[in-house]
Amino acid sequence: MSTTSTSPVPPGLVIAPQLPDLLVPVAIRRGVFGFLRNHPTVAIGGALLLCLVLVGIFAPWLGTVDPTALAPAKRTRLPSAEYWFGTDLLGRDIYSRVLYGARVSLTVGLSVAVLSSLAGLAIGLVSGFVRWADSILMRFMDGLMSIPPILLAVALMALTRASVGNVILAITIAEIPRVSRLVRSVVLSLREQPYVDAATASGTRTPMVILRHILPNTLAPMLVQATYICASAMIVESILSFIGAGTPPTIPSWGNIMAEGRALWQVKPYIVFFPAAFLSVTVLAVNLLGDGLRDALDPRMAKSL
Amino acid sequence: MVSYILRRVLSTLPVMGIVALFVFSLLYIAPGDPAAVIAGDQASPADVERIRQSLGLDRPFLVQFGSWLWNIVHGDLGTSIFTNLPVAKMIAQRIEPTFSLMAITLVLTIFVAVPLGVVAAWKAGSWVDRTIMAFAVFAFSLPVFVVGYVLAYVFALQFEWLPVQGYTPLAAGLWPWLQNLILPALALGSVYIALIARITRASMLEVLQQDYVRTARAKGLGQQNILFVHALKNAAVPIVTVIGIGIALLIGGAVVTESVFAIPGLGRLTIDAILRRDYPVIQGIVLLFSFLYVLVNLMVDVVYTLVDPRIRY
Repeated sequence: MSTTSTSPVPPGLVIAPQLPDLLVPVAIRRGVFGFLRNHPTVAIGGALLLCLVLVGIFAPWLGTVDPTALAPAKRTRLPSAEYWFGTDLLGRDIYSRVLYGARVSLTVGLSVAVLSSLAGLAIGLVSGFVRWADSILMRFMDGLMSIPPILLAVALMALTRASVGNVILAITIAEIPRVSRLVRSVVLSLREQPYVDAATASGTRTPMVILRHILPNTLAPMLVQATYICASAMIVESILSFIGAGTPPTIPSWGNIMAEGRALWQVKPYIVFFPAAFLSVTVLAVNLLGDGLRDALDPRMAKSL
Repeated sequence: MVSYILRRVLSTLPVMGIVALFVFSLLYIAPGDPAAVIAGDQASPADVERIRQSLGLDRPFLVQFGSWLWNIVHGDLGTSIFTNLPVAKMIAQRIEPTFSLMAITLVLTIFVAVPLGVVAAWKAGSWVDRTIMAFAVFAFSLPVFVVGYVLAYVFALQFEWLPVQGYTPLAAGLWPWLQNLILPALALGSVYIALIARITRASMLEVLQQDYVRTARAKGLGQQNILFVHALKNAAVPIVTVIGIGIALLIGGAVVTESVFAIPGLGRLTIDAILRRDYPVIQGIVLLFSFLYVLVNLMVDVVYTLVDPRIRY
C-alpha cells in the first residue's frame, strides 16, 4: 500500500488484528485469591500439590499400617475393604506404602529444586559477573550438560551407598547446569539495562547492585525453572529407585513399590498401577503449577507456549 | 560452509574431553574409598585390594586419567570387574536393541509431533488446539514406565495385538523386529512427542504472523502448502534444536523402557552393572551415551546451516 493512497485506513493500522488482544478489558483482581482466579492452572496445580503434601505429612493418621510390616500369609491380596490397594509380594499393605512413598518423592523433589536453584544461582552470578571465570565455568557446565541427567545420576549412585540424601545430591548435580545457564543468561541481559548502568554510575558497589537489581529479577524465571526441576527430580528419583539405583529398598518410595511389583505385573498389575497413578498425578500437579507460574510471571512466553 | 562445519566439529573435542574428565573423576569425587564401595559390604580386604588394582586406583590421578583416555581413544573402555570381559565388547553385544528402539522412537516422534504442533498452531485457540496442548501437558507429566505399563496392559495383555515383552533382532525380519518395538517406542516417545509438539506450535505461531505467510496467502496458495512448505521450513530451527536436546530424554528413558519391556539392550546392561556395582561398565555406558548426545547436537548444528543459510558463526 503506497502512502499516497486515498484509502481511509492509514498504513500503520495494518497491525490492527493484533490490537484487540491487548485491549480486552481484564478484571484486575488483587490479593492471593485474585491471583489464583486469574491463573486457574496455578490454583489447580497448587491445590493438588497441597493435598499430596498433606497426605505425605499425615500418612500415619490416614488409616495406614506400618508400611514395612511383613505378612507373608497375606501376600498379593487384591484391593479390598481391608487392603484398599491390596498387598504386595511380601504381604505389605500397598495403600500404606503408597502414602508413605509420597514423603520420599516430595522430599526429593523439593530438596533438589531448592538446592540446585541455590547452587545454580551462585554459579550463574559468578559467571555473569566474573569474566575470567565465565568461560571456565561454562565449558565445565557444557560438559556436565552433555551427560544425560539420568545416566549422570546413575553413575553417581553407583559410587555411593543408597540413601535418600545421596539420591538428592546425585539429582541436584545433574540439574545444576541448567539453572546456571538460565541465571547467567538473565544476568548478562540485566547487566545491559540502563538502570543497572545508572546504579553503577552513581557509585553503587557490585554486591549491592547484585542484591538490589539483579537478584530480584532472576527470581521469577528461577521460580518457574525450580518447579520444572522439582517435577523432573521426582521422575528421576522414581526411575532410579525403579532400576535399583535410588532410594534403599527398605524405604517405601513409589519407584521401589513399582520395582517390586515389576516381576508380577502381568498377573497383579495393581501393585504397579497405584504408585504409578500417584506419581503421575503429583508430577502433573507440579507441572501445572509451573505452567501457570510461567504464564503469570512471563507473559511473553505465555503467548507463544 | 565447509570451514564452519570443520570448526564446529573441532569445538566438540574440548566438550568431549570435559565429559571424559568428569566421568573419570566421579570415582574420586564420590565420598569414601571407591574401591570399598564398589566391592560392597561383604568384601574381604583382598577383594578391595584387587579392585583397587584393576581400576588402577593405586596410581597418581593424572597418570590414571592419561592412560585411561589413551585407551578410550583406541577403543578400549576397560574391563568389567564382574565378567572380566572388555567393556567395549559387552556394549557392542547389547547395542542393537537400544539403537533400534531409539531410532524408531525418533522417527515416530517426528512424524507424530510435528504435524500435531502444526495443526495446533494453525487452529490456535480452537478446541483442536486445546485438546492437543492438554494432551501435551499430560503426556509430559507421565513418567515413561507408567506409559509403558499402561500401553502393555491395554494393547498386549487385554487386546493381545502386540507382544508383551522381549526383542527380536532385525536379522529375523522387519515385522517381528518392529512388532516388539512399537509399544516401547510409543512409551519412550510420549514425553518427547509432547515436548516437540509444544515447540513446533510455538515456533509456527510466530512464523504464521510473518509477512511472507500473508503474501503466500494473498497469492492464493493452498493452506497445506503454506503450512508445511512456507511456514514449517522457517519454523524449523527451534524444532530441530529441541529434537537434538531431547535426545537426552530419550537416552535416559531408554534404560527404563528396556526394563519395562524386557529388552536386552544397554539399559539392561546398565541395571545389571548397578546391581553388581560394576563401575567400568557404567562408566563406558555413560561415556558412550554422552558422546552420542554431543554428536547428535553437532549434527543438529550442521543441519541448521542447511535449513537456514543465514546461520554462520
